[in-house]
Amino acid sequence: MKKYILLAFAILFVGIYLFPLYWMYVTGLKAGSEIFRFPPTFWPQTLHFNVVDIWVRLRMDRFLTNSLIIALGATAIIVAVGTGCAYALARVRSIWMDVALFATLMMQVLPSSLMITPIFVSFNMVGLLEYPRLAVVLAQAAKLLPLYIVLCRTAFMQVPRELEEAALVDGNSRMGAFFQIAVPLARNGILVTSVLVFLQSFGEYVYSRSLIGERALQPATVGLQSFMGPNTSDWSGVMTYSAIYVTPILIVFVLLQRRIVSGLTAGALK
Amino acid sequence: MAHFWSSIRDSRGFDALLVWLALGYLTVFSAFPLVYNFVISLQTVDLFSLASFDRPFVGLENYREVLSDPVAGTVLWNTIRFVVLSVVFQLLIGFGLALFFQQDFPGSSYLRGLFLAGWIMPALVVGAVWSWILAGDFGVLNYVLRSFGLIDENIFWLSDHQVSLYSVIIANIWLGVPFNMILLSVGLASIPQDLYEAAELDGAGAWQRFYTITLPLMRAPLGAVVSLGIIFTLQQFDLFAALTQGGPSNASNVAQYWSWQLSFQTYQISRGSVVSVLMIVFVIGVAAIYTRSTRYEQNY
Repeated sequence: MKKYILLAFAILFVGIYLFPLYWMYVTGLKAGSEIFRFPPTFWPQTLHFNVVDIWVRLRMDRFLTNSLIIALGATAIIVAVGTGCAYALARVRSIWMDVALFATLMMQVLPSSLMITPIFVSFNMVGLLEYPRLAVVLAQAAKLLPLYIVLCRTAFMQVPRELEEAALVDGNSRMGAFFQIAVPLARNGILVTSVLVFLQSFGEYVYSRSLIGERALQPATVGLQSFMGPNTSDWSGVMTYSAIYVTPILIVFVLLQRRIVSGLTAGALK
Repeated sequence: MAHFWSSIRDSRGFDALLVWLALGYLTVFSAFPLVYNFVISLQTVDLFSLASFDRPFVGLENYREVLSDPVAGTVLWNTIRFVVLSVVFQLLIGFGLALFFQQDFPGSSYLRGLFLAGWIMPALVVGAVWSWILAGDFGVLNYVLRSFGLIDENIFWLSDHQVSLYSVIIANIWLGVPFNMILLSVGLASIPQDLYEAAELDGAGAWQRFYTITLPLMRAPLGAVVSLGIIFTLQQFDLFAALTQGGPSNASNVAQYWSWQLSFQTYQISRGSVVSVLMIVFVIGVAAIYTRSTRYEQNY
């Protein structure tokens, strides 16, 4: 009996916590006049679908394509550059590796909003701002690369060293052992971490806002911010936009929930 | 040449290459901007001198100007309140929920995982949703508070200069609770269950067990969560952009947002970099303490 009381409370807590998400979807489904009712209605009286209207009117396809380009680009760089580093940091113990790990950890904490000033000035001087989305990809990859290395390192530490040593004895090279033994065995960790990095970059805002001036190249976050504006009254539209934007993210989250939780906790405390 | 290739494929050279690939990238795109940031903060950088290498060197003049700016005091005090209140409430709520979900009931770990849905969302979208919840006239939070009799009149969360900072803090606590809860759950799960059973046999009550077993054994995770909380809170930018833009008249402005405003809205780029340099030094300090302390714990 006690278990079910606890379960009821747990559902209540989850419900209270996730209320903002519910409110986003419900507001998106309300008609314009129903939004401005006080007291508010907790379930829409008339359902009002403006998904297509918002999608077409705000050119969300363009915004989401740009978000996708930025997220894919940053993730590709991070996976290509970071996986090997995570592996080496997991395998080799020496004073230099400790220094490298410490440096990585320090770079992990640099806030984007503080790094953007020097990045903007230096990118401007070398002409990178001519390619604003590439500039955002490069900066965002640098922002999340340390996190990826730290999380993937724990995935590699769980791969038994003996398997690789056996491969070496069988005449495999170190490089061969890395690609054929270590990476396949750590693939779950690598995959979940890549998804995390991808989702973070999909919601990137500071760099895009500061480096991309041209509207056609901006991602969905910047589009949402300019749609909201200082005095918006189209809250139904804003919430519809938000819902279109985050629903794919939430679906990926629900599918990978268990793995994300365990990957995250393994990395953060070690 | 053959020797070079075999060293890369087969020995230490391989590890060194892998590490340098990543560190090289980070050097170009993180470490260099970090150093360059300091250089800019000693120069006069505005829209006119932005493109030239030869910018006037002014020494610590920018620092003097920023620190004597009347806004600086407000921003500093706001930043302190923002960080302390966010971290304290994220910790209390996160720890409470972690303790609750530690109990044995069906679906506990699945329901606990659902909290991370808030953490995974883009912070700008979270800010958009909260700015609608907090809206003065038609916001649902005002309605809820009124129907519980907690307030008599609507609070204009985002435009009232006395509460606008708190509205960002509320949204930030919401965003940070899941991460705190999950990390603390891991810590709680690693406490051996027989300690509690032994204490119970000796007649220790629930509070006594909490104070004498849980809290002391949770010292390391709690320390980690506090340091990470400070670091993440100082990274928070999107919520300010979505909710208050630092306003009204800097009432909710914090250092990381001010730095961006100076650089990208008023184009006083060297002043923006001064704020950035000062804050980065602080963040790295916190991170260094945290990293050192976790290494120390590992040696046990």
